[in-house]
Amino acid sequence: MKKTIVFILAFFISFLFYSQTALPDIQLKNIDGKTVSILELSKDKVIVFDFWATWCVPCINELDAISDEYEDLQDEFNFELIAVSIDDARTKSRVKPMINGKGWDYEILLDSNQKLKRALNISSVPYVIIMKNGKVVYTHSGYTPGAEQELYEKFQSFQ
Amino acid sequence: MTLRNFQLIIALLVTTTIIAQNNQTFSIGIESNSQYYIDDDVTGDFTEDDNFRSNNYIKLDYGIKDFSFGLQLEGYAPQSLLNYSPKYDSPINIGTYFASYSREKWSVTLGYFYEQFGSGLLLRSWEDRQLGINNAIRGAKLTFRPNDKISITSLYGKQRVGFEVSNGQLVGLDGNFDLSSILSHDNTSLQLGLSYLGRYEDISSSNPDFDPLTHALSGRIQFSKGNFYADVESVLKNKDALVEDGLVNDDKLFYGNAFLLNMGYSKKGFGLTGTFRRMENMNFYSDRDAAGNTFNEQIINYIPSLTKQHDYGLTNIYVYQAQSGLSFINPFLKAGEIGGQVDLYYKFKKESLLGGKYGTKIAFNVSSWYGLGAEFNADYQRVEVGILDIGERYFTDHNIEIRKKLSKKVSGILMYSSLYYNKKYIEEKSGDVRANTLVAETTYKFTSKKSIRIEAQHLWTKDDKKNWVAGTTEFNINSHLSFFATDMYNYGNDAIDHQNHYYNFGGSYSKNRSRFALSYGRQRGGLLCVGGVCREVPAATGFTFNLSTSF
Repeated sequence: MKKTIVFILAFFISFLFYSQTALPDIQLKNIDGKTVSILELSKDKVIVFDFWATWCVPCINELDAISDEYEDLQDEFNFELIAVSIDDARTKSRVKPMINGKGWDYEILLDSNQKLKRALNISSVPYVIIMKNGKVVYTHSGYTPGAEQELYEKFQSFQ
Repeated sequence: MTLRNFQLIIALLVTTTIIAQNNQTFSIGIESNSQYYIDDDVTGDFTEDDNFRSNNYIKLDYGIKDFSFGLQLEGYAPQSLLNYSPKYDSPINIGTYFASYSREKWSVTLGYFYEQFGSGLLLRSWEDRQLGINNAIRGAKLTFRPNDKISITSLYGKQRVGFEVSNGQLVGLDGNFDLSSILSHDNTSLQLGLSYLGRYEDISSSNPDFDPLTHALSGRIQFSKGNFYADVESVLKNKDALVEDGLVNDDKLFYGNAFLLNMGYSKKGFGLTGTFRRMENMNFYSDRDAAGNTFNEQIINYIPSLTKQHDYGLTNIYVYQAQSGLSFINPFLKAGEIGGQVDLYYKFKKESLLGGKYGTKIAFNVSSWYGLGAEFNADYQRVEVGILDIGERYFTDHNIEIRKKLSKKVSGILMYSSLYYNKKYIEEKSGDVRANTLVAETTYKFTSKKSIRIEAQHLWTKDDKKNWVAGTTEFNINSHLSFFATDMYNYGNDAIDHQNHYYNFGGSYSKNRSRFALSYGRQRGGLLCVGGVCREVPAATGFTFNLSTSF
């Protein structure tokens, strides 16, 4: 058994040299129930995926902080933020009133059985991924007040 | 799958890869959670084997053209963390694996897969490492998507249990149809969902009415028009043996059903949503005798408690757990659950009277859950339940949360919760609890990235363990490094030697895709709940180390 596992590991690691991080072709529903392809979204522009949940305080703090400056930021840098909610049946019904109640202007996707989260090996939220031309150029896990500044600095460098 | 088969697949993989080395994707995810338990007067000496324990996961995914392959290795060395299922008993083993082939209109997966029908009331296979849940299905799944309006999934398999699979077999069919175009209104959406799930487990039974195959059906409608939305789901489960204390009574057969309604209205700055749910005998396990197991193994459907998911230490002492099962065990007679919750969100605009310079955000939540009003006949063979009859009150929570940014440097949250918790029925112990909790937290930004967060909490109750006070300080050096110290003190406990402090301190460092956290402290014994699913954890003291990274 152990030998097999070592073999498998070596096999996979050897691929690290050949491959690059790309987004898997996963379809999620948006807040209006329409099916959205992740690959289609990330074509031709800078996309920020922010994984969050209605029960995650740092996630809400982060989205609140960005929301305060979202319009100005979008004018300055050509990008779109997509807030991917990992709320499941327990809290999913809270997503729509919360985003409206908070006045967020983000596109919202629902990853209610964590399909995309699992495919991207995300173990905890909040988790931010910046994609440019279909490739991952920046990731960050966790949020502390002010961490959005680093995100803005990254936008600058990706223009 | 035998080891030889497995090697064959790998060999195949190698060949395909050598032939075509384009369009490849590859990723690795690693997570390791370890604890070192020490003796402590308060939480008790650690008397079991292995003070050091760790749960480790390595997840590998590889894609080439239309194919993708995945493998999750798991290691519990020298054994799994306290109160994880003893079935996770291997220092290194294959947890899950899959191979799938996807084209534009259809895809097929062999091996282990995760799937959810609708809201999960009929079927949800998922993974939560913190809770020790992994009920992936091993078998085959076929999805057909002729256009972006129709999606049909069929599946067959057995559910994962530790490093084995269930005896029971699952077969399912799920169809989702987007009917919005029929309505021909721009801002109107209508979705229809229909699902079937069958669980086949043959047990020896002399009851001619007993069917080893249990059928269950779900129908769903989701509607939205402009700012208004509503969705409704109904589930019927065919009659099946009553299981009590792990004993399958195949001479006592009962039907199950569930009804769920969500409605809401929201527009910018305002959101209102209400949920109603009624469930009767809805426990559903891949092996009948697994019903009610403490490790949440082999659960087919997902029945979360529909209450506010609280964020603070003291608001997570009395957490409701949905009561979906049927029980004739005196004095805990139960037939199911009925109740609902309402959420309201409102944002006072900037420059308004209550909004101030930056606006004020306010959220209300009320939830109340009851046992189904039912008559249990003396022969314990029959139960009569009214459609809207309400029985014992199980749980109520009223809470309000206000979030306010006071200046560029200071922001705060104020939260108040008042709850009723029927310990007798929820935990099958005795007594009930009425508690009020107040939480205040404030964040001060020293510079754009350096900040401190302080949290103060108090819980008042004349019941159970009486009053608690708690505090947290979190110091964020920059966006990568932060430290915390927290303490929960049960100063009101009647027994002076149980007036314990549950302290924890530590730090975490995160950079790009990696996160490390180290802490030392005491864990309060009781229920650990994540996402409305709870597991019992023992009181323990020690060091905790978490690492997660991906490539």
